[in-house]
Amino acid sequence: MSQFLTRSRARSVATTVAVALTLTLAAAAGCDSRQEPEIPSVNDKLRETHIYGQPTLKIGVSTTGPLMSELHGGTYTGFDVEIARYIAGQLGYEGDRRIEWVPVSTEDRIPALQGGSVDLVVSTFSMTEDRAKLVSFAGPYLVTTQEAMVPTRLKDDIRTIEDLRDPRYKVCTSGGSTTEAELGRHQIRVFVVKEVGDCVDGILQGRYDAVSSDETILAGFLSRHPKEFTIVDMPFGTSEQIGVGVPISDPALRDLVAFFLDKSYQQGRQGVTSPWLTAYHRTLGPWMRTPKVQPPTLNVPKLVDFDDKAPRK
Amino acid sequence: MTAPAATGGSGADADPPAPPPAPAFATDERRARASQSFWTAVVGVPAVFSVLRLGVEAGGELQTTLLLVANVGPVNLLAGFLTTAARLLSTGLVAVFALGAVLGVSVDRLPGHRRPLFARWADVTPAWFVVASFLLALVTWQLLYLPLLLPAFVAAFQLRPERLHELMPARVLIVAALLGGYLFLLMPTLLDAWHQREYLVLALLLAPPVLAPAIAGPLPGAVIRPLASITEAAVLAMLVWAALPVITTPVLPLTVTTVETAPGAIEEVRGHVVVVDDVNLVLLQERGGVRYVPIDQVKGQVLCPSEEELPRHRLRVHDFHVEDSLLEALGRRVRPVHRIDAGCRTTA
Repeated sequence: MSQFLTRSRARSVATTVAVALTLTLAAAAGCDSRQEPEIPSVNDKLRETHIYGQPTLKIGVSTTGPLMSELHGGTYTGFDVEIARYIAGQLGYEGDRRIEWVPVSTEDRIPALQGGSVDLVVSTFSMTEDRAKLVSFAGPYLVTTQEAMVPTRLKDDIRTIEDLRDPRYKVCTSGGSTTEAELGRHQIRVFVVKEVGDCVDGILQGRYDAVSSDETILAGFLSRHPKEFTIVDMPFGTSEQIGVGVPISDPALRDLVAFFLDKSYQQGRQGVTSPWLTAYHRTLGPWMRTPKVQPPTLNVPKLVDFDDKAPRK
Repeated sequence: MTAPAATGGSGADADPPAPPPAPAFATDERRARASQSFWTAVVGVPAVFSVLRLGVEAGGELQTTLLLVANVGPVNLLAGFLTTAARLLSTGLVAVFALGAVLGVSVDRLPGHRRPLFARWADVTPAWFVVASFLLALVTWQLLYLPLLLPAFVAAFQLRPERLHELMPARVLIVAALLGGYLFLLMPTLLDAWHQREYLVLALLLAPPVLAPAIAGPLPGAVIRPLASITEAAVLAMLVWAALPVITTPVLPLTVTTVETAPGAIEEVRGHVVVVDDVNLVLLQERGGVRYVPIDQVKGQVLCPSEEELPRHRLRVHDFHVEDSLLEALGRRVRPVHRIDAGCRTTA
């Protein structure tokens, strides 16, 4: 009898504890559901940027980079332009009516961001430590290597970095580029012009013998002159991370651009088509010797967005 | 079911060991009153809420409220209310039935104890309605909170572990197997929650199934009265507290409308569409005020999500977001692509 009473009492205490804990959990759940999210949202970040409320987004692009960024009959085309359109759309600037394209040369990219004449630069902008002291970078959205392009007539003469050092050959590159510094490290005498296109024109006119730049930029000019030029694979040893330039004073905008580049990267990883892949296949893809994939984005912030609940598979 | 305390008198003197049975008409009357108050609450609360919502949506302006009343039909209003308040409604009902059953079975042992309000409500409610309330909760509660439904269900129907098997070892094995299966199903989510330091999520997912086998049964007499008073007040306070966001949830969908006021002059207006006719599009602007836009000036319109829809956790249960209900998760399977229109981002 006493054993029955003890068991009954123990059971009663267990029920009390279970009821009390369940009610506590329910109360905690109720409080949790009314709390503000700990992780900031995309809209929160957007409100912190200097572009919030602007009617248009000013994006600095090149006008002379075939396949990457080119102006044809008033319309911008190319891989950089497609990436810029994707980022602008995600930031709320859909369509060219809401984008103000600002032509920037290679050497004007940093001053344009510092001076506020552009909100973003998407112009085959290599992410380097020196530049990162002056502007912020989101990315990379492309990793390229440095190559050299020579006229077909010299394809058997210029095959190595040693050949480029030969004083008989005049090597050209664009000013303010990372290529210029890399050529200098290899003691190659270099002729610096404003744009890579000027080098290509110079070779066609017989003033230079080779041009060195990113493989993507060179692939663009090769697509324009497939019979006159050939790209020579040279072991420069450095790969370049191409990113989106953002004013250093606007970390929120950098975070947002990185978040959207990563969103595209994650879509690509899941095997579904991503904005990056679409841009690549429409522009650069057919002209690259080895197919490229989107590199993982660096320093991606944790943000929540309205489509976070959508199925991933 | 209630046995009132003996009040003395000749009957008590004549037969002291057995308390006199309660008069049948008094029990019936009390039961009828409880039933009446319960159904009044079930029907009346949504109706009052719906009207309150229109007033809040109109920004407290009388003329705007009248405009909404004229254009939002009762069926639309009720459907809108059920869409946004079904979770709150089912939570209230589940809480009442679970607590009512626990308190009811506890006072059954104590003759002369007045039955708490929730116990009386649970007594008069047909079983099908209780089951329907739990089903409504099952499909409308967020996945994160669904485990809490298990102890609530066990409590509401007083399902003791003895029902599983008459032998204790067999019962333990069955419960252990069920808990093992549950852990196997949720293991990836639990690990993610651990890595993200979401300890409340861990407790909400792990504790309820462990508590469920112990929750059925009578409580000690000493805790019944305070528990009844506290929980009744707490459920009422919870309903009022949780009702505020329901009242302020818009009745009409949020849109951004592109308006061309003059050739080349584009303006984007964020607000709720009240009505569209041949002449005007009537917009209740998000910042307040009604705007009549001539229909030929409307160049485009997009549907936008509201900030309240943003998730707070980054956890999934087998690709279902923990803040989705089963109904929402099913909907996302049917229409998996969710695109946020650019206009929703920039138009403040």
